[in-house]
Amino acid sequence: MSNFKKLVIEPLRKTNPVTVLVLGICSCLAVTAQLKPALVMGASVTVVTALSNFIISLLRKGIPSRIRIIVQLVVVAALVILIDQFLKAFAYDVSKQLSVYVGLIITNCIIMGRLEAFALSHGPWESFLDGLGNGLGYSLILVVVAFFRELLGSGTLLGYQVIPQSFYEAGYMNNGLMILPPMALIIVGVIIWIQRTRHPEMQENQN
Amino acid sequence: MKKDINSNGYIFLYATILIVVVAVLLTAAAIWLKPFQDTNKQNEKRINILRAAGIANVNADNAAELYKLHCTDEFLLDENGRPNNNGTLPLFVIDREISVIPMKGKGLWGPISGFIAIDTKGNIVGANFDHESETPGLGGEITTEKFQSQFKGKQIRKNGQIAPIEFDAITGATKTSNGVKEMIDNTLEKYKPFFEQLQPSDAMK
Repeated sequence: MSNFKKLVIEPLRKTNPVTVLVLGICSCLAVTAQLKPALVMGASVTVVTALSNFIISLLRKGIPSRIRIIVQLVVVAALVILIDQFLKAFAYDVSKQLSVYVGLIITNCIIMGRLEAFALSHGPWESFLDGLGNGLGYSLILVVVAFFRELLGSGTLLGYQVIPQSFYEAGYMNNGLMILPPMALIIVGVIIWIQRTRHPEMQENQN
Repeated sequence: MKKDINSNGYIFLYATILIVVVAVLLTAAAIWLKPFQDTNKQNEKRINILRAAGIANVNADNAAELYKLHCTDEFLLDENGRPNNNGTLPLFVIDREISVIPMKGKGLWGPISGFIAIDTKGNIVGANFDHESETPGLGGEITTEKFQSQFKGKQIRKNGQIAPIEFDAITGATKTSNGVKEMIDNTLEKYKPFFEQLQPSDAMK
């Protein structure tokens, strides 16, 4: 239980791949203009990190270390293509929205990072949990960022109008800046700021 | 394991087996999922055609049914605007009156496409656009109702001639907007003979 907690819960907070390790930022800004693609991207990355961690961990004793990066890439790429094919077959709308980004899951630094740092030196089950935790940690940040960007940028959540019409009549306007990618970085920055203020031990030594 | 896992022979063997396994797996998945993906693509096309023609409440579940109900004819036109099996210009007729024609063009980052529906008097009934990789929130806005609805009711003729259509571009997405304009103009140019014979004199005013 404590192992489970450590591997799955910790990446949501103190070892969060996005806000603490600062990995996976590129896709974080690409798919967070709306909540729905963020949720799907988060789920896809979670599945890929968990499964690729699991598979690489199973293979770890047989992988020749000189070609280990290539082997990791092949496994991740195969998984990503499978997920892409499944989305195209069973969730066409979503796959259209993600079209470019699904292929980019493979270049997500979190996946390769966890494979190198964890899966190559730990057992399959632990690796699976670690991948799951890191995927969820990534999804959490994605969803928080997408929540604010969609709410403030389009006045909707998951495509449903949230901000009432009377607000617009009173002069309220959607903030077009929120839809543009740089705002994702600013929101991530704010999350990191809040997190570090609440956990001073995370701050680097000033000197 | 007795074998040295860093010997060249082992590395070659390992890489070969891995690639073969992955290739077989991916091929199997691609073959198995192909029918589902094709259905989705076909449905999407039908949804876009019906939406352009102004038919409401079309979704993936009822697209095939509604398409059967509304699409009265579909054929190919040659460059003289006449139906011809060897023609290159597809045309979909919805409810006998509305001609829906597909468009293809270039956006900023990749291809854009769409359908435009025109009635017998040369008025645009509706248009919709799609893109592969335009920036979400900028060029990607061409897929929104807000952008697409402005085409409704526009006339493709000016003084009896097929003329370029004017519309409001998207702020911050000049290249994509130009791409849309070019796409519409080029398409109408190609279908010019068809629309000219459709109603040669009605629009003259």
